[in-house]
Amino acid sequence: MSGANRTTPPKAGPLRDFAFPTVVRSRLDTGLAVDVVPIHHLPVATAFLVIPAGEDTLSEERAGIAVLAGDALEGGTRRRSGVELAEALETIGADLDVGTGWNATTVSLSCLADRLDEALGLLGEMVLEPAFPEAEVARTRGQHLARIQQRSMDPGALASDRAAREIYAPGEPYGRPLLGSLESVADMGRDSLIGFAESYYRPEGGGLVVAGDVDPDEVRALAAGIFGGWEGAPPVRSSPKGVARSLERRIVVVDRPGSVQSELRMGHPGAPRNVPRYESLVVATAVLGGTFSSRLNLNLREKHGFTYGVRSRIAYRRGPGPFSVVTAVDTAVTARAVQEAVGEMERYVRDGPTKEEVASARDYLAGIFPLRLETTGQVAARVAELRVYDLPDDTWAGHRERIRAVTRRAATEAAREHIRPGELAITVVGDAAAVVPELEGLDLGPVEVHTP
Amino acid sequence: MSRIDFTFHRHTLENGLRVVVAPDASRPVVAVNLWYGVGSRNERRGRTGFAHLFEHMMFQGSAHVPKNQHFELVERAGGSLNASTWFDRTNYFETLPSHHLDLALWLESDRMGWMVQAMTQEKLDNQRDVVKNEKRERYDNRPYGDWQERLQRMVWPEDHPYRHTVIGSMEDLDAATLEDVADFFNTFYVPNNAVLTVAGDVDPDDALRRVEHWFGEIHRGAAVPELPGDTAASIPMSAPVVDEVEADVPLPRVMMGFRIPAYTDPGFAALEVAGSVLGAGRASRLYRNLVRTGVARDAFSYPFPLVSGASILLVGVTGFPESDPGELAEAVRHQLRGLVQVEESEVARGLALEEARLVRALEGLGERADRISMSTMLFDRPERITEELEDLRAVSLADVHDAADRFLATENHATLLYRPNEATA
Repeated sequence: MSGANRTTPPKAGPLRDFAFPTVVRSRLDTGLAVDVVPIHHLPVATAFLVIPAGEDTLSEERAGIAVLAGDALEGGTRRRSGVELAEALETIGADLDVGTGWNATTVSLSCLADRLDEALGLLGEMVLEPAFPEAEVARTRGQHLARIQQRSMDPGALASDRAAREIYAPGEPYGRPLLGSLESVADMGRDSLIGFAESYYRPEGGGLVVAGDVDPDEVRALAAGIFGGWEGAPPVRSSPKGVARSLERRIVVVDRPGSVQSELRMGHPGAPRNVPRYESLVVATAVLGGTFSSRLNLNLREKHGFTYGVRSRIAYRRGPGPFSVVTAVDTAVTARAVQEAVGEMERYVRDGPTKEEVASARDYLAGIFPLRLETTGQVAARVAELRVYDLPDDTWAGHRERIRAVTRRAATEAAREHIRPGELAITVVGDAAAVVPELEGLDLGPVEVHTP
Repeated sequence: MSRIDFTFHRHTLENGLRVVVAPDASRPVVAVNLWYGVGSRNERRGRTGFAHLFEHMMFQGSAHVPKNQHFELVERAGGSLNASTWFDRTNYFETLPSHHLDLALWLESDRMGWMVQAMTQEKLDNQRDVVKNEKRERYDNRPYGDWQERLQRMVWPEDHPYRHTVIGSMEDLDAATLEDVADFFNTFYVPNNAVLTVAGDVDPDDALRRVEHWFGEIHRGAAVPELPGDTAASIPMSAPVVDEVEADVPLPRVMMGFRIPAYTDPGFAALEVAGSVLGAGRASRLYRNLVRTGVARDAFSYPFPLVSGASILLVGVTGFPESDPGELAEAVRHQLRGLVQVEESEVARGLALEEARLVRALEGLGERADRISMSTMLFDRPERITEELEDLRAVSLADVHDAADRFLATENHATLLYRPNEATA
């Protein structure tokens, strides 16, 4: 047979249309937004209940309570014990999960579409009528404390927690671990959780998103039946300011003698999700460290073999979440890896991305967008984000076009504004004796050594 | 209500490549997925970890594709891609906007046909370093990171192809040569040892034509050699194996492995259901009786879908700082013994969970394509991606009791205990 012409990449066919799925929006009288996204590929449904009850508004003394309350919801309701609740959900094959982050508490549910009525009813019962039985709270708190302890012994988690502390000024919520501390969580009992739920689990500012093989009218009626009597607003909350601990670059080593690798985090306060010209910033960070073919990964992994992989990203939140470079490198090359990474960042900010790099990142981001909307869960998560960050309804409808419109100049400006290699807090979790001398020799800033 | 209704178009090229096209025009996306019938089980002594290292080399370019272009071109097209190596297989996959189908087929066919020409010592040394850092990051520098290595050695007899880990050993990675790369490629990366699935927004005839165009001229290889070592392991194990390690871990943990029939064995479904009753969901036995009661911090259980002679069911339970690992293990064994008497309602819940999870797993084209490749390679039936559910539904209460009685409630276990060492406790 005649051979295929392999010498150049084949031409793409004509671009096929893609539109963000239609969102049917409504609002209950009590303030709860109800967004329904009909998707009829498979007989499944996903529901997200977003509650404006995140960790970011809490004081240091109460750090961890939003996470603990969310986790303790499975302990039972006024009508059902925890075991009965689990049995009721699993009998209909429903997966229910409570995720608590900086910005919100999100209860997610996924099930076969013909089970949505029952499953959503159980979700409502759980959130509106939590019982927080003493024994279940104690048990959940024990698990929570064990998780905190576990993080302190996992080099990656330890590095991330330490980096947050080095990036943000004392008192900034983002500077502490999401789970809180052994001290803040130790005394949280049934009463504190009941108080928290009473005040924070309120519909105002939150929303219900249902995506899947469903009818919008039916879902609205269902939601009105379950959540119609749920009223009120959570305490007024401002977003964290995200003040930096320091504007001077410095290196902090957390000593783990005998480590075979160093966990590296290099960062500073980044930008909030609602930052102006968000798409330019997304393109700018993608070129530096957001893809396999990014500058950082091609240097540290594909050129030098220092690491299995390196990424840089901004953790977008209501306030300025951290910009950070994340990687783990062979102990022996730690200083060289830090030097290469800082060098890449400095060059990047000085010269900006090339036209070609910006075009690649644009194509990647515009193309990958529909690919990440394949499942009802992915679609529901995107719609839920609009509630969490208070973004305009048409955010996703125009996303691809705004990405495509990012110019080299806009990406360069975004990079220079939001990536500041001179202000990096560089956190290294590894064998101090092995890495400190060379790190000091780099002349990138003062080097401090701590024990975990 | 939507229905689960997939169509499959099958074709085998003259060179032996099995092709499945599964059209779905619901969005402008296509998934390309290749399964090669080679994994860590095929590694010879002294070359553990090689199948995975080789997988990395597959991204280092081929005759017409320069180093790093594979990732760059797919990302530029707005696609995602990766590969993974496991015991029985290695898979390579791209999900892209559907008008870029040819790009994925060109890239995959070029490395299936013309990979070795592009290999250099420099590339091998570079990826060896990358893989060694992967091993450090994911296994060596992580609490409990050595559990697989330890447990596999306990579950499988000397000489069994599942006795060593996919990541392999540093010494063996160091020993790998360019000649090994070429040998491995010529032996295992042949069209007659692969399944190619194209799922998504494509016309089946057009897609098959394109597959033929890109893959048709690749030469058929020799039959793949028998597995090294000896896959004959008695199921169940004849005696339990217990090992306790003191390590830098935050909490005591028990990991148990049970030798069970292979994924392709008709008896496997009952063990899936038993595993579900034991450890899937918060109404499961382990969660209800150990986690909810405060004995354990977390617990899970599931069977691996291994196919070479036998497989393994895994149970993991983490305690609290004050737990004694031995007592924790005894508590787990007590739950296992209880599996010989479960309620119909527990089986029904296990099934309901499995059913919902299976349907959800088919939502994304990438996962769907991967399951199609697996079902075709292992069962010669792409339809099995949904028929699997029928196998599960056919499991009776008596089947679960029988499976528990034979494989889980007995001496058929390897038990690995982690005790936090003095300094860290």
